[in-house]
Amino acid sequence: MHTFSTTVTRRALLMLLAAALTLLGIVAMSGWLAESAREFSGAVGRTTALRVAAGTLLSQLQDAEVGQRGYLLTEDRRYLKPYEAAVTAVDATIARLHDLADGDADELRIVDRLAVLAAAKREELAQTIALMEAGRRDEALSVVRTGHGMMLMDDARRSLADLITPADAQLDSQLAALIGQVRASGWVANLGGLFIVLVVGGAVWIAIRYTRDLMRAQHAIQALNDSLEQRVSARTMELQRANGEIQRFAYIVSHDLRAPLVNVMGFTGEFEAGLASVRAHLDRLPRDGGDTVASEARRAVEEDLPEAIGFIRASTTKMDRLINAILALARQGGRAMNPEPVSMRALLDAVVASLRHQAGEQRCAIAIEGLLPVLMADRLALEQVFGNLLDNAIKYLDPARPGRIVVRGRADEDRLLFEVADNGRGIAPQDHERIFELFRRSGAQDRPGEGIGLAYVRTLVRRLQGDVTVESVPGQGSVFRISLPKALALPSEAPAHGA
Amino acid sequence: MAHDTQSMRIVMIEDDEGHARLIEKNIRRTGVTNDIVPFADGTSALAYLFGADGSGRESMGRALLILLDLNLPDMTGIDILARLKANPHTRRFPVVVLTTTDDLQDIRRCYDIGANVYITKPVNYDSFADAIRKLELLFSVMQIPGAEA
Repeated sequence: MHTFSTTVTRRALLMLLAAALTLLGIVAMSGWLAESAREFSGAVGRTTALRVAAGTLLSQLQDAEVGQRGYLLTEDRRYLKPYEAAVTAVDATIARLHDLADGDADELRIVDRLAVLAAAKREELAQTIALMEAGRRDEALSVVRTGHGMMLMDDARRSLADLITPADAQLDSQLAALIGQVRASGWVANLGGLFIVLVVGGAVWIAIRYTRDLMRAQHAIQALNDSLEQRVSARTMELQRANGEIQRFAYIVSHDLRAPLVNVMGFTGEFEAGLASVRAHLDRLPRDGGDTVASEARRAVEEDLPEAIGFIRASTTKMDRLINAILALARQGGRAMNPEPVSMRALLDAVVASLRHQAGEQRCAIAIEGLLPVLMADRLALEQVFGNLLDNAIKYLDPARPGRIVVRGRADEDRLLFEVADNGRGIAPQDHERIFELFRRSGAQDRPGEGIGLAYVRTLVRRLQGDVTVESVPGQGSVFRISLPKALALPSEAPAHGA
Repeated sequence: MAHDTQSMRIVMIEDDEGHARLIEKNIRRTGVTNDIVPFADGTSALAYLFGADGSGRESMGRALLILLDLNLPDMTGIDILARLKANPHTRRFPVVVLTTTDDLQDIRRCYDIGANVYITKPVNYDSFADAIRKLELLFSVMQIPGAEA
């Protein structure tokens, strides 16, 4: 899933990067195109100006010639006016041409030649006019007739054409290049745009597909989760049912075991009563030691049978106690838990108070420490749990040192933890699990008890949805730890037994 | 009309033969000589108490004291108790529940239905004999009424 997502992300990013690069290319292409267009428009402007200037020069030279011819024909000085205006303007026009041709050697050469031609033309015109003014009209006309002036004009016209034609040709080629560029740019823009659309579309498609996969995975997880919850609740129900069956079983077994025990006890009593009457009868007979049968009967009645009855009694009594213990456990397992707010401080104070007498006999101090919160739980079960643990702590103190028992409590994130710590004789490591089993005891069997208390504690703590563990160093003491939920949840539970 | 104590019969519904014998012995030991009618299962006891038609008319005019065990092979004693207390001909018979259970719930239930005495059969024989013998006091104190017509 992880590598899948990174490759997807990398692929989408690469695609977007390619799209961005393409876009950049298109922008650069546009910039280049704009630059070419700007250059072209500059060239167009120059060529136009060159053309205008060339036209102007030609017309000025023609004006000057027209003025000269008019004067030569009419001798009227009014005709010299256009001549004079044209002759003075020619220099400025040539300077302008020079400016426009700046940088191009061919053009400069043509402009220079034009300047020479213009100067020669002006000289020719000035010469004829001067002759005319001197009254030598024939001489002036003969100068005209040489055709030198006309030739100069033709040369000037040719030169102007030489100047304009290549500029026009250059303009044409520039325009062709620009058109090519525009076309190429158009292609680039179109193809690039298409590429961008494809790439972005692809990225979007990948994202959508990826999102869809994610959604599908999420649905799958959700479904798994749901089925898991279902399975857990089914399993829990099975467990509850099994638990209920075990409790019913324990109840029935202990109940039905008691019935024959009543008979054993009862008829033992009958037996004893019968024995008493036999004994009374024997007591009335004379004690003559010679009869072995009589003395054996006497010994049976006085010693063997009472001893046998004593063993039967002791065994049935013990068996009754054990059965009662199983019965009590079964009943506890079947009893409905009744959650109510319980102040642990008050509860422990009451439990300790009820054990004060025992504790006093053992000269032992019991302290309650730490945060003892209020929790939602079954009060009776809690009383029995802590009562049993404290009773055990007192019972198994080490007589070699003054007893000290501490009950502590603290709240974890969602659970409450309690400790009952003593400095008693401790429990061997191999017995840490065993002591919670029914009828199992640890260490020297020098204290009264059936090995029921801790089995009872564990049953109750589990019914309170908690757990109990022990930590102990033999000879130093034991710590019993109980963790409980802050509030006891009520499971839907079938009653464990009937009558 | 009231019967005198001697004409009363004791109906003992107890499936355990040993228990039945012990109960009988101890009752006799207290000097009670009334008839004891034993039944080892619920069905035959119900047939005796309510007759073949189950109406209970059979018990009209009888004076019975019923010793009832709760654990029977074919039904629970509580069912028998409930039927006895629901029938107009049998509901005044005193019922002594004898059982090995000392479950508080069971005890409460029996009293709720109408048991007169609840005795746990203790394994300790002396207390068992004591409990049975105390019944003698009960017999002498209790006026056993016949079912009214």
